[in-house]
Amino acid sequence: MVAAQDREDYEKDRMPRVEIAESHWSDEQKAEFLRRRRARNFLLLAALGGFCLIIYVIAMVKLHEYGRMW
Amino acid sequence: MSDRVSDFLHEAVSVPHLGAEPKDWLALLKPRVVSLVVFTGAIGLAIAPGHLNPLLAAIAVFCIALGAGAAGAINMWYDRDIDAIMRRTTSRPIPAGKIEAGGALGFGIVLAVISVLLLAMATNLCAAGVLAFSIFYYAVIYTMWLKRRTPQNIVIGGAAGAFPPVIGWASVTGHVGLLPAMLFLIVFFWTPPHFWSLSLYASTDYEKAGVPMLPVVKGARHTRWNVFIYALLLFPLALSPWFLGLVGPIYGATACVLGVVFLYFAWGVLRDKQDAKGVSLTKDQPARVAFKFSILYLFLLFTAIAVDRLV
Repeated sequence: MVAAQDREDYEKDRMPRVEIAESHWSDEQKAEFLRRRRARNFLLLAALGGFCLIIYVIAMVKLHEYGRMW
Repeated sequence: MSDRVSDFLHEAVSVPHLGAEPKDWLALLKPRVVSLVVFTGAIGLAIAPGHLNPLLAAIAVFCIALGAGAAGAINMWYDRDIDAIMRRTTSRPIPAGKIEAGGALGFGIVLAVISVLLLAMATNLCAAGVLAFSIFYYAVIYTMWLKRRTPQNIVIGGAAGAFPPVIGWASVTGHVGLLPAMLFLIVFFWTPPHFWSLSLYASTDYEKAGVPMLPVVKGARHTRWNVFIYALLLFPLALSPWFLGLVGPIYGATACVLGVVFLYFAWGVLRDKQDAKGVSLTKDQPARVAFKFSILYLFLLFTAIAVDRLV
């Protein structure tokens, strides 16, 4: 049943469901899932922080060097 | 979706899906391709006349890398069906079931928009415009339009990889000059012998996926001739910046030596031991050597132009 659902999901271009509470993963698999999600969240946070930093640097350099942004 | 692809994907998701790791998202950006793009873009930036603050220059190179990666992610999204068939690409994040197709597309589009906006802010609209066009060219004109329709796909699509030195140059000067246009043409004419050397020994993969690469459509013998002819055309073209007085003798001598060596390897591809259909009897050893050398060729040629202009 699960395999059939997975196949249907894929044919509709969706990933299989990953709700931990409903899955029959082992404890190790759940821990690994959480670890990966945490890593992804930290990466996203770092990317957003980096984006803000780059805009700040561009603004500072351009305002200091040319006196205007554009 | 064909049954074979469906079966493959089903097998891929039968293992528990634990979510993508950061390295899977990074893999979507085709880091190996990006590294060459960053290199040629940085050279274009370094040899341009004028001054650009080093921080802004670093951001410009980062934007070129981000834009190229974004185009790569969109390419992987669109090609996920054939990637699942070709042995060389089955481990990519989407066919391997690590990243959802829609997620990859969203990732690519967001990065593309960010890269263009950041480059416009850090440098100028000309550079950002060329970057935007190069992403569109690779993702739409090459990937969606040409790749599956014509054996000349990589000849025309090769232009996408030729834009970075132009973007680098435009980042500093705000316009496109003769020298970056020549660098564009060099990369443009370098791409066919580079890719066709690879496709000579990876043609089974392309055939399985139904991609009309030259060896699949016209045969190995025709491809060998094309590798040689394009290497021959590349030789005077690579020397032309020197003939036009845009660069000095360091570049001229390097381009001459590299051109002769590349021609020698392309000649090896042409004269490889082959059967009546032109299929190699040496497991395409000359094509493998020519492919590897083509990467070194571009790297050394661009290094020479940077050394020549900066010394």
